[in-house]
Amino acid sequence: MPAPVPFDPDAIASAKLIVRPAKDGVTIKRTICSTCDIACSVVTESKQGRVVKVRSSDNPIFRDNICMKGIIAPKAFAHPDRILHPLKRVGERGSGQWEQVSWEDAMSDIGQRLKKVITEHGPEAWAVSTSQWNTATDHGLGRRIMNHVGTPNWISGVALCAGNTAAINRLTYGWFPMGDFNNTNCIVLMGHNPRRHSWTPIYNYIRSAQERGAKLIVCDPRKSSSAERADIWLPLKAGSDGAMMFGWLKVIFDEGLYDKDFVANWTVGFEELRKRVDEFPLDRVAKLTGCDPDMIAKAARMYATSGPSIIPWTPITDMQRNSTSAIRLQSILRSVCGYVDVAGGETLQGFNPDIVPESTIEMHEVLSEEQKAKQLGSDTHPAFTYRGQAALREPLKRVWGHEYVNQVTGCYMANPSATFRAMAGEGSYPVKAFFALGNNTVMSYANMPLILKGMMNQDLIVAHEHHMTPTAQLADYVLPGDSWLERPWLTDAFGWMSAYRPSEQSMEPPGEAKSTWEFWKHIANALDRPELVPWETLNDFYDDRLKGTGMSFKELSETTEIYFDKPVFRKYLKTGFATPSGKVELKSSILEDLGFDPLPYFREDPPADPDYPLQMFTGVREDGYFQTAQRQVPEMRKRAPEPQIFVSPGTASEYHLGENEWVTIENQIGKISAQVAIKEAMPDGLVRVPHGWWKPEMQQGAGHLSGALKYSDAQLCRDDEDYLDREQGIPHLKGVPCRIIKSPSGNATKTEAKV
Amino acid sequence: MSPFYSDDKRRELSAKLLIWLAARASRNQSMLDRLCLWLVDRAMRRDPDEDFMRDPIIDNDQGFDPEELDRYQRGEK
Ligand code: SF4
Repeated sequence: MPAPVPFDPDAIASAKLIVRPAKDGVTIKRTICSTCDIACSVVTESKQGRVVKVRSSDNPIFRDNICMKGIIAPKAFAHPDRILHPLKRVGERGSGQWEQVSWEDAMSDIGQRLKKVITEHGPEAWAVSTSQWNTATDHGLGRRIMNHVGTPNWISGVALCAGNTAAINRLTYGWFPMGDFNNTNCIVLMGHNPRRHSWTPIYNYIRSAQERGAKLIVCDPRKSSSAERADIWLPLKAGSDGAMMFGWLKVIFDEGLYDKDFVANWTVGFEELRKRVDEFPLDRVAKLTGCDPDMIAKAARMYATSGPSIIPWTPITDMQRNSTSAIRLQSILRSVCGYVDVAGGETLQGFNPDIVPESTIEMHEVLSEEQKAKQLGSDTHPAFTYRGQAALREPLKRVWGHEYVNQVTGCYMANPSATFRAMAGEGSYPVKAFFALGNNTVMSYANMPLILKGMMNQDLIVAHEHHMTPTAQLADYVLPGDSWLERPWLTDAFGWMSAYRPSEQSMEPPGEAKSTWEFWKHIANALDRPELVPWETLNDFYDDRLKGTGMSFKELSETTEIYFDKPVFRKYLKTGFATPSGKVELKSSILEDLGFDPLPYFREDPPADPDYPLQMFTGVREDGYFQTAQRQVPEMRKRAPEPQIFVSPGTASEYHLGENEWVTIENQIGKISAQVAIKEAMPDGLVRVPHGWWKPEMQQGAGHLSGALKYSDAQLCRDDEDYLDREQGIPHLKGVPCRIIKSPSGNATKTEAKV
Repeated sequence: MSPFYSDDKRRELSAKLLIWLAARASRNQSMLDRLCLWLVDRAMRRDPDEDFMRDPIIDNDQGFDPEELDRYQRGEK
C-alpha cells in the first residue's frame, strides 16, 4: 500500500534522517509482516540464524507501520506448541491422537486418497479453504492446480471480508478502487475503526490526513476511538449502512451536489437510480438509521463538497443482509461525486505491466465452462462466483488486459455455506476432500454446527498450519507451515494495487515446516501433474514473474522496497470502464441479467422476536489477535485473557449485568459464554461479541475443540435466508437478535453442536 | 499558484510527484535516490512531542536472545 508522503515545509526545515545502523553479529533483512492481512514493511534483526527482533522500517514511507503483533512475532513463532513435523491422525476423526510421519509418506497418501475422491465423485468433490496471508501465501498456485484438476470450489474468509467488496465494486466500475489517503480532503469510515495496533497503516494514513486538514466522517453505532476524532459522527443503527447511503444520495441529488458532467458522460441508469433514491426521504432514513436528519444532511454535504473524498474499504459493510446494495451505494456515491480514478479520490490502479500477476498464475481459463457452472452457490447467490463475474471477462480484457482478474483473491469464489452443505451431504453433489491452509475453517464462517457436520463427513481433510487449531484437530493430516520470517514473499496487496513489495527470507523454517508454495508443488507431484509447478524453487518462480522488470528477485529485494507503476488518472477517458457498457453502471446490467434488482435497495429487519430482545454485532477483531489466532501467545493473552462482550451501562442495568460477570449469549442456532464489559461508548440494546475465541490450552479433539464449542462466535452466526445477503449469500453479522442469560457459575452452557 | 492549472491538475501532479519521490526513496541506490529519501524523511518526521505515532510498545526496542528463543521453542524455561 503506498504510504502517505505529506509535504510540510516546516517539517522539512527541522528534521534529520535517522537510519539505525546494524549492530555487530546482527543480520538485517527488509521484510513484510503477514501476521495479519495488512502486510506492513518492517525490518528483522537476526542473531545466530534466528530472528530476535522485528522493528519498524528505516524508510520514512513505512516507518510507523508496525504493531504489537509484528513486534512479538519472533517469540510467537517460536512457541513450544508450534507444529514442526507432519502429523497423521490415529483413531477416529477428532480423536486427538497423532503419529509423526515424513512429508514424503504424508504426500503420497494424500495424493492417493485425493485421486480416489476425484475418481469416485468428480474433481468438484475437492474443496479448499485458505487465504493469502500468514501461512497461506500461495501466490496463486492453489487455484492454478485446482483449475487444472477441474474443481471450482475454493473458499476463503475474504467471502465476507474485502474479497466480496472487490467483486461487488467491479459490478459498478470494473475494478476495486484504493483510496488515495495522501491527497484526499475527506475520509468516510463506515463502522471501521483502524487503531494503532489494528489496521495500523490505515490508522497512520488517516491521522496524517487529519493532520493536514482532511475531514473525517465516522458512521458507527459505537462511539469508537475513530468516532471520537471525527468531524461528524453518525451513530447509525447496526446494519443500516445502505439506508444511510441512500440518505446521502438523496441530499446530494436534491441539492445538485453531484458531478453533473461525469454523470451525463460516464454513467448509465441515473434516472432510474434517482427514482429509487427518492424512495428514501430523510425522515425515512432517520427512522431506518436512528440518526438525526440534519446530521445526515450535513455529512452528505461534507462528503460531496469538500472532496475529493474517499470511502475506504470496511469489513463492516461486507457483513450485512444488504451488503451488495450497500457496497454498490458506496461505489455509486464515489462515482456521482466524480471521485473515481482521480488524485485524492478512489484510484483504479490496474496491473503493473512489468510483473506477472497472481491472476495469471491462477489460470482460470483452463477450468472448463462445465466445471465453472458447478461452483457451489453460483445458482442461488452468484455475485462473487464465476457465474456472477462472467460478464466482466470481455470488459476486463478490454481495459486491464486480462480476462480473469482476481482481486483480493475473492472474485471467483464458491459460496462458503453452499460448500459446507455439500460437505455435509446436503448439496446437489458431495464434497468429500477438504484442505484448510492457514485457515481455521470451523470458526471462520457462519453456521459452525453445519461446518462441523461437513467436516465429520469427509474422506480426507488436510490442514497446513502453525498450531493445532480446532480445524486441524479434525484433520487426517496436519502439516507444518512456515511463517513470514522464514520465506521470501512478493506482494501486490492481493491484486488491489499496482505497486509490488519484496520481502526477504530472514531465517530457516524450524523443524520440517514448509511454505504453502512447496505444499502445492508437492500436491502437483502427488497428483502426477508436476508440469503444473515447473519452477524448481520459489526464487525461480519469482525470477520468472519479475522478468519484465529486468531484475531478479534477489536484485529487486536488495535494491527496492516498493516497485511502483507510474500513476495515471482518469484512464477511462481512453479505455472506458471495465463494465459491459463501458460506463459506470449505476443500474447494474450484470445484476439484472442474473435476475436481481439492478438498483440498490434496502431490506428492513425481519419482525422482532420478543424472546431475543437484544441485537448482536459480531466479527470484531481485538488488537492482540488476528482473527482466530494468537490466543497461545502469553504476551497477547495477558492483555485480553477472556472473551468479553461489550454492553452499554443502560443495557447492563436493565439486565442486571455486572462487570466481568460470566454470561451466556444465545440466539436460535447456538450459545456461547463470555464475560461482560460495560462500556460507555456502546449504544443501548447492542451487544458486541468478539470474533474467533478458543483457548489453545483447553482439551483438544471432537466434543471440545479447545474451547471453540464454548466460545466461538461462529456458533451464533446465522445463514438462513433472512440473515443472508441475497446476491452474495454472505451472512448478516451486524445486528442479529440475541439474548443474554446470566450464568453465575461461570460455566458456559454447552453448545448443541454434535461433533 | 499557477493560473494555468486547475485544482484537479495540481493535485494530480502532486500525487505523481509523491509517488516518484517515494519510489526513488525506496531504492536508495544513487545520490538522487538518497536525496529523495532525505526529502521524504524531512517531510514526514514530526516533533516527538507531537508524534501521534509514537507508542511505548513500538519504541521500546524490545528484542529477544537467540538462546532464550531456542529454549522457549523446546518448551524449557
Ligand atoms: S498491522 Fe501488525 S500484524 Fe498486521 S502486518 Fe502490520 S505489523 Fe504485522
